[in-house]
Amino acid sequence: MTAPTVSRRSSDVWGDRVFRAVALTAGLSVLAILALIAFVTTKQAWPIFRRDGFAFITGTKWDPTNGKFGALPFIYGTAVSSVIALVLAIPLSLGIALFTNELAPRRLRRPVIYAIDLLAAIPSVVYGLWALAVFERPARTAYQAIADTVGTLPGLGRLVGGNASGASFMTAGIVLAVMITPIVTAISREVLATVAQDDKNAAIAMGATRWEMLRMCVFPRVRSGLVGAVMLGLGRALGETIAVALVIGSSHQITSHLFKSGDSMASVIAHEFPEGQSDPTHRAALIGLAVVLFAFTILVNVAARWIANRTTEQAGASA
Amino acid sequence: MAPPPADSAAPEPSPEWWLGERSTSPRRRLVDAIASAWMIGAVALALVPLGLVLGYVVIKGASIVSWSFLSNNLPVITQFPGGGIWPAIGGTVLVTAVAALMAIPLGVLAAIYLNEYGRQQPLARVIRFMSDVMTGVPSIVMGLFVAMIWVSSGLHQGYSTFAGSLALGCLMLPIVIRSTEEMLKLVPDDLRQASDALGARRSRTVARVVIPAALPGIVSGSMLAIARAAGETAPLLFTIFGAQRVLQTNLLHGTNTTLSVVIWQNAQQPFPAAQDRAWGAGLTLIALVFLCTMVARFVSARFSTLET
Amino acid sequence: MITSVLVAVLFAALLSACGSSSKGGSGAKVTLAGSGSTFQQTFDQVVIQGFQDESSNITVNYGGGGSGQGKTDLQKKNVQFAGSDSLPKPEDLSSYQDGKLLYFPTVAAPITISYKLDGVSKLQLSDSTLAQIFATKIKKWDDAAIKADNPGATLPSTSITVARRADSSGTTSNFTKFLTAVAPSDWTLGSGDSVDWASDTQAGQGNPGVAQIVSQTEGAIGYVDLADATAAKLTTASIKNKAGKFVAPTLTGAAAAVASSTFKADLTYDPINASGAASYPITSPTYILVYQKQTDHDQGTALKSFLQYIYSKGEGQANDAGYAPLPAEIVTKAIAQLGKLQIAA
Repeated sequence: MTAPTVSRRSSDVWGDRVFRAVALTAGLSVLAILALIAFVTTKQAWPIFRRDGFAFITGTKWDPTNGKFGALPFIYGTAVSSVIALVLAIPLSLGIALFTNELAPRRLRRPVIYAIDLLAAIPSVVYGLWALAVFERPARTAYQAIADTVGTLPGLGRLVGGNASGASFMTAGIVLAVMITPIVTAISREVLATVAQDDKNAAIAMGATRWEMLRMCVFPRVRSGLVGAVMLGLGRALGETIAVALVIGSSHQITSHLFKSGDSMASVIAHEFPEGQSDPTHRAALIGLAVVLFAFTILVNVAARWIANRTTEQAGASA
Repeated sequence: MAPPPADSAAPEPSPEWWLGERSTSPRRRLVDAIASAWMIGAVALALVPLGLVLGYVVIKGASIVSWSFLSNNLPVITQFPGGGIWPAIGGTVLVTAVAALMAIPLGVLAAIYLNEYGRQQPLARVIRFMSDVMTGVPSIVMGLFVAMIWVSSGLHQGYSTFAGSLALGCLMLPIVIRSTEEMLKLVPDDLRQASDALGARRSRTVARVVIPAALPGIVSGSMLAIARAAGETAPLLFTIFGAQRVLQTNLLHGTNTTLSVVIWQNAQQPFPAAQDRAWGAGLTLIALVFLCTMVARFVSARFSTLET
Repeated sequence: MITSVLVAVLFAALLSACGSSSKGGSGAKVTLAGSGSTFQQTFDQVVIQGFQDESSNITVNYGGGGSGQGKTDLQKKNVQFAGSDSLPKPEDLSSYQDGKLLYFPTVAAPITISYKLDGVSKLQLSDSTLAQIFATKIKKWDDAAIKADNPGATLPSTSITVARRADSSGTTSNFTKFLTAVAPSDWTLGSGDSVDWASDTQAGQGNPGVAQIVSQTEGAIGYVDLADATAAKLTTASIKNKAGKFVAPTLTGAAAAVASSTFKADLTYDPINASGAASYPITSPTYILVYQKQTDHDQGTALKSFLQYIYSKGEGQANDAGYAPLPAEIVTKAIAQLGKLQIAA
C-alpha cells in the first residue's frame, strides 16, 4: 500500500479559502440582518420621533384620526401582561425543571421533557384561538367571582375589583405564561445540570433532605443562571403578538385593574398596520412602536444570555 | 441498616443514628414534602393546558376536517359553511419550503464557520451571541422589517409568497445556526484529526467527514425550525397578505394565504362557520407541526451516531 | 456543500419562474380587485359568487378592511373598485389619481345596536340614552335613563362594555352622524370614519370584529350591520326614530328609510334619521366607488359587467343576504350612470 500523497495544489488551497469565506459571510449575515432591522426600522420611524420626541413614549392618547400618537398605554399593557406571565410561569417552570432534574425517576424524565416540548410546539395562533373561543367566557365568570369576593377587600379593589372582562391583561398573562414555560424550563434545566453531582451527593451524605440540598448547594450557584432563564422568558413574553392580540381586549386604557382590557405594542401593530400604513404619520408611529419593542427585547435578551452564559461558563471552569 | 431509634432525641444515640431514616425532624421532612409536592404539582399543572388545548383542537377540529375540507378552495362567502382550506395548506407548505431552502443552507454554513473556523475567536463569539439574541426578536418585527425593505418600501415588490418566505427565513436562521452548531460540537475531534492526518484540507474535512457525521442531528434541528416557522402568523401578515382563495404558484408576484393566517382571520369572526373553519385549520396545522417534530425526533433517534 | 447551495438557488429560481401572471395577455382571465367596507362585504360576497358562476373568465376579489382602507386603496390604484359607506371628503378628492369618481349605491341596511345581556331579550333605546352609552357616560345597565326607556323591564347591574371599530369605518361614520344629529349635547365626539373613543372601549376589526366582541362579552353593546349581527346570532335593540316610534332593525325599516330619502344627481343619498313612522333611524347607505376614466380596457369592461350584474340580478339577492335593495327607479338611474364609464379602447 503506497503512502497517501499530501495535496498542496493551489486550486485546493484556493477552494478552501473560498469555502471559509462563504462560511464567514454566512455567519456575518446574522449581524447584517440585525443591524439592518435596527437601521431600517429607526429610519422609517424617524418622522414620529422627530415630531414628538420623548412624548411618543410618555403620551397616553393614541388617536390616529387626529394625529396623536402616545404609546404609553401599549407599553403599559405589554409590561403588565408580561409581568403576570412571569409571576405565573416562574414557580411553574422552576418546579418542572427541578422535577425532571432531581425528583423524577429515570423512566419519567424523558416523557415529561417531551410533554413540555409539546407545549412549545403548539403554534401561538392556536393558543390564541383556544383562549378566545374556549377560555375567555369561563375565565370572565371566574374573574367576576374573584372581583366580587376578594376584590371587595380594601387595597385589592384597585387590582381585581369592579367589572371583570374576559378579554383582559389577566387572560393575556395566563396564555403568555403557558407559552413561556417551555423556554424557561429548558434553560433552567440546563442551568441546574451544571451543578456537580458530587457536591449534591456530599450534601445528601451529610443528612440533608432533598430540599435542603437544593437550598444550600444548588440554588446559590445557579441563581444568576435562573435569572437568565427568567429574563429569556420575559423576552419571549414581550414579543408575543398573535395570542395576546386575540385576547387582550384592544382598549387604550392604563389601569391597575388586572381584569380589564388593554392592548400591547405588538398587537396594536398587528391590528393597525394593514390599514394604518397608508397614512405616513400613522405608519411611522406604528414602526416607532416596533422600534421600542425591538429595543426592549434586544436589551432583555442580551442581558439574559450574558447572565445565563456566565453561569454555565463559571460552572464549567470550577468543575 | 441499624434499626431506627424509638426516640430521636434520646440521650446517647447509637453511632449509626444518622443512617436511620427517621433522623430528620418532622419539620424538615414536612418542608421537603411540600417542595416535592410543588415540583409534582407544577408538572401536573403544566399538563392541564396541554391537554385542554390539544383536546379541544382535536375534538372541534375533527368534526369539520374531512377530505373535501382539505381539498376545496376557500369559500367566497365566509359566513356560511362550505369550501375548504386547501389553498392554506398549499400556502403553508410553499412559504415554509422556500424559507427553509434559504435559511437552512445559510444557517448550516454559518454554524460551520462558528464551529470549524471561528471557534472562540472574538468575531465568532459575537456572532454566536447575536444568534442567540436573534432568536428572541419578536416575529412581528421580522415581518415588518421585510415589509419595509421588500414589500412596501425599499424594493417595492408588493405582497408575495416570497416576501413571506424572507420573513420566515430570518426567523429560522438563528434556530438553524444554534442547533447545527450544537450538532457539530458533538462530532468527536478524532474524526477531524484523522482526516487532517490523511492530508485533506479543512473544507474537505468538513464536507466529507464532519457534516455526514452530524447530518441526522442537523436534519432533526432543521425540521424543528421548519415546524416553528410553519406555525408563525405575525411575520406573514404584512408580507403574504393572506387574502387569496385559490392557491397561487407564482411565488414572486402571487400572494397566498396560510393555515396560520386563516386561523387568525376566522378566529376573530363570531360566525359559527368561521369558528369551525378556524378549528379545522388549527387541527391541520397542529398535525403538520407535530409531523415535522416527530420526523425530527425519529431521524435523531434512529440515525444519529453521536453521543449527546 | 457548495453544490447543495447552488442547487438550492437554482431550485428557488425555478420555482419563481414557473407560475402564471394574473393579468390575461391573451384576453383570457381578468382579475378585479376591490377592498373597503365590511358593511357591504356579505352582499359583495354573494354577488361575486353569482357573477363568477356566470362569467368564468373574470375573478373578483374583495378584501374588506373598512371604508377608509378601500378609499385609500382606490386613491393609489391598488384596487379597481372601493366599497364605502361614506363618501370621500371634498378636500380628499384631489388624491384620487385618475380623477373623477362615480358613486354606485348598491344596497342599504340597518346598523343594528347589538348587545349581550343575559335575561334581557328586548331593549328600547332613545337618542339621548344611546349617545350617553356610547360616550361612556352611562356605565351600568341598570342606569335610570335605560330604565326610563324600558318601563317594566328588569335590568341587571352589569357594567356596560362599549364595542367599537378599530379601523377607519363608514359604519362608524354613519352611526356617529346619527348621534350628532339627534343628541348633540350628549354626543360631543363628532362624526367621521374614526372618532376619539374613550380609552376603556374595546376595538374590533371590521363589522365582524365588533360582532365578535359583543357575542363574547357579557354586558357588551356595539354597532354592527344586520347581516353580521344575524349570522352571529346577536340580540338587537329597537331605536327611537324621528317620528318618536321605537323601530327594530329590520329590512322593512331600512326600506322605509330609503324610500323616504332624496337621491341627488350623483346617486348619493342620506337615510340617516329618516322621517316616517316605520323608518329605522340608523339605516346606512353603501356605495361602490370607481373611476369614471377606466384606463385598462379588459378591467374596465369586466368592472362594467360586474356592476351590471349587481343591478340586474344582485338586487334580487339582497334580501336573502340581509340587505334592503334600492328602489326600482334608482336602479334604472344607476344602470344609466354605467354609460358614463369611459373605458379605454
